[in-house]
Amino acid sequence: MSEEYVIQMKGITKVYSNGTVANQDVNFNVKKGEIHALMGENGAGKSTLMKMLFGLEMPTSGQILVNGEEVSLSSPTVAIQKGIGMVHQHFMLVPSLTVAENMVLGMVPKKSGMLIDYKKAVQLTEEYSKKFNLHVEANAKVMDIPVGMKQKVEILKALVRGAKILILDEPTAVLTSQETDELFTQLKHLKTEGYTIIFISHKLNEIMEITDRMTILRGGRSMGIYETKDVTPQEISRLMVGRDVILKVEKEKAEPQEEVLRVRELEYVNEWGKKMLDKVSFSVRKGEILGIAGVEGNGQKELVDMLFGFNRPNAGNIQVNGQSILGRNQRQIREMHVSMVPEDRMLYGIAGTASIEENLISDRCGEKRLNHGFLFNMGAIHRESGRLVKDYTVLCKNPSQSVGSLSGGNIQKVVVAREFSNDPKLIIADQPTRGIDVGATEFIRKKLVELSRSGIAVLLISADLNEVMELSDSLIIMCGGRIAAYFEDTKDLTDDLMGRYMLGIEKQSPEEIRRVCHE
Amino acid sequence: MNKKNSTKFSLIRGASALGIALLVAFLLIFFSAQGATFSEKIASSIKALREMLISPLFKKNGNFSMKNFSDVLAGMIPIMFTGLATCIMFGANQFNLGAEGGIMLGAFVTALVAIYVPLPGPLLMVAAVLTGAAAVGIVMLIPAVLKAKLGVSEMVNSLMLNYVIMYFLNYLMNSYLADTSKGNTQTFPFRENAQIPQMIENGSRLSWGFVVGIIMVILCWIFMYRTRWGYGIRMTGINQPFVMYSGMNVPLIVILCQVIGGFLAGMGGGIEMLGRYNVYNWSALPGYGWTGITVAILAGNNPIYVPLAAFFMSYLTKGCTLMSTNANVPSQLISIIQAVIFIFFAAQQFLSGYRQKLVVKSAREELAQKALSAGERSEK
Repeated sequence: MSEEYVIQMKGITKVYSNGTVANQDVNFNVKKGEIHALMGENGAGKSTLMKMLFGLEMPTSGQILVNGEEVSLSSPTVAIQKGIGMVHQHFMLVPSLTVAENMVLGMVPKKSGMLIDYKKAVQLTEEYSKKFNLHVEANAKVMDIPVGMKQKVEILKALVRGAKILILDEPTAVLTSQETDELFTQLKHLKTEGYTIIFISHKLNEIMEITDRMTILRGGRSMGIYETKDVTPQEISRLMVGRDVILKVEKEKAEPQEEVLRVRELEYVNEWGKKMLDKVSFSVRKGEILGIAGVEGNGQKELVDMLFGFNRPNAGNIQVNGQSILGRNQRQIREMHVSMVPEDRMLYGIAGTASIEENLISDRCGEKRLNHGFLFNMGAIHRESGRLVKDYTVLCKNPSQSVGSLSGGNIQKVVVAREFSNDPKLIIADQPTRGIDVGATEFIRKKLVELSRSGIAVLLISADLNEVMELSDSLIIMCGGRIAAYFEDTKDLTDDLMGRYMLGIEKQSPEEIRRVCHE
Repeated sequence: MNKKNSTKFSLIRGASALGIALLVAFLLIFFSAQGATFSEKIASSIKALREMLISPLFKKNGNFSMKNFSDVLAGMIPIMFTGLATCIMFGANQFNLGAEGGIMLGAFVTALVAIYVPLPGPLLMVAAVLTGAAAVGIVMLIPAVLKAKLGVSEMVNSLMLNYVIMYFLNYLMNSYLADTSKGNTQTFPFRENAQIPQMIENGSRLSWGFVVGIIMVILCWIFMYRTRWGYGIRMTGINQPFVMYSGMNVPLIVILCQVIGGFLAGMGGGIEMLGRYNVYNWSALPGYGWTGITVAILAGNNPIYVPLAAFFMSYLTKGCTLMSTNANVPSQLISIIQAVIFIFFAAQQFLSGYRQKLVVKSAREELAQKALSAGERSEK
């Protein structure tokens, strides 16, 4: 019986040095030639389990068998020797090198013993590209190729190193729906060639589409291994979160009022001379949520940086309630009642080893009501943090616990509790629910809708199509640093239509786009 | 990890660090010990170790030695100040190493005021110390502003600044200020009313500056944990981009913490000068700034632990001095032994394997307890 399993992980327990139990008695097995899904909410222990399989972490107890033989995977090098390859969620490629150079990193073909045989690297790349039907441009620099192709490079890299078992960590998170379809075709092809694929995801429809079996994790424990054909999406959802989650946010129709944020003719050329923003103009009005959709890297990051004073445009202007914000720093912008939920919450959103309370007051620590002259008014600070922790249902022992010890979803709740509670007139929410659990996601989305209906202007930037479509009252799509489309109503939008604009296959006329300025 | 296991680990770690350090120290002493036979060597090594560990507190006859103990307390005074200075600068992740030059400059400026400014009564004492402190605070603007405005490494700058200060002061002493009637390079004596009174008149030079030091410890703790500026400093130390994004003034924090650090170091220099000496005669960096860095690291950058860390370092220094004078251990060995003890205490990874075991055990217990209470609930 056990011969058919290429991977068996038995009784795996992992305790991190901060005391977090990431996996507890997890049993996991994969049959040869199957596509096996590993599912679970964020913090369920999926990544930890896979890190142990790829030699990035060692289990605290339990055993790992590859092809029936017990192994000690002490480093990725060992895992690769055993035929295990991993494609990380965030690509591990060198952007300034070509595809072929990336392909042979660490196993460079040499000529006359010293020089790099670049031709051979290209040959090798093309050979594998053809063999697995994964098209890549061997001579293109990685920074110039689209995300979908980067992923293929990553897959090929693993294959070139002799991987027979591929671990894909949320491979579709960064792909458009067309690219996702393409990826699935290729994965099915790999499967027929006898490769085994472990597919980490929390997107139900994808799992149903391509996997044979699945393992569901919840709170570090395995909820069992199932044949995909035997379970319904509802059952999976219940196993994952213990309840049926409906991520439909009820919202009344928006009644937009006067303009709050006014962006006109914004242009920005980055330090490598690439035009990242090209005549971007739009307005966000009081009481509405304007969504910005688009594949990552199409100018959204640059736009957000400028809106919050981290960067200055080459041309154009940005006004909040009629006042220009150009040249102002974060403090001055915050004084204009602009709040921001940053994309990178660990870098900008929190100070990890500080307490929840200290993280909740960072934007208001100078306010009179929290100070007695020179000293902090500790009573007022405790009351403030206690209230926020309660209102935003931050799951913690008490507000003096360090924020870094919370789960991703609760960390994000701390960030939004701060950003939503300081009387904002404009909220910039950049990927507000990326990578957090369903419960927290639902909470934050509801809160955003609630705030917008109470008369706050909300700008929502998200790579999650469901999120922008569900939350936005109206929506713009960015492609190549320009606004490619504006939809006044999100009701009739489909993934497919949006995908076409996101990839630049279609583009609205300037007049249609100009409507987002509400002039 | 729960509290019980955490305390247990700290205790075991502390005890075994000391144990290993003493064993290494014992071996070092043993190899350099005098004595013809093995047993003589052992005996003299034990005597040396006893000198180091026990003599700072007890006399030969076993009675408490007030003199040695007050020596230890007096030794704490300058390193408490440099320790506090370093705590506040390192607390904001500003690796300013200028406390060394700072304490020298503070001592010098204080001395000048104490000699040349005719102020009445204890006012002179206070004015002298505060002038010294302020002078160093201002000098620390150099690395601070360069860091905040131009991003120049404050570590390199402040490190070099120490030597600039030292040579500049030596130049002033040799060229203008020295009392030429004396054989040594030293200033004229301080005015009588500038001297900080002693707490005990036993020659230990334990001045009331010690109490000022303890008060500063409390003030620094309040500053760091109960004011918005201290909060800003600590948050900057944890995550600077977060502080900027939150709308706090990062450049100001970077400057502020170094100026306060300089002020504290200068204050330490002034108090050491007026409490221990009656002329200024330093011609080299005193080393208190370096020890202050050690103190800050041992205290985990928390001002409240500075007296403990300073006591430990001062005790060790005193013990080593006694060992060197009474037990014939070469003075070079003293530095090595001091370093060994310090390394084991400061090593982050020491016994980390054992810690991991405790963590796992703790987590298992917690899980079992949870399962148990869940089971009880379902039975009901």
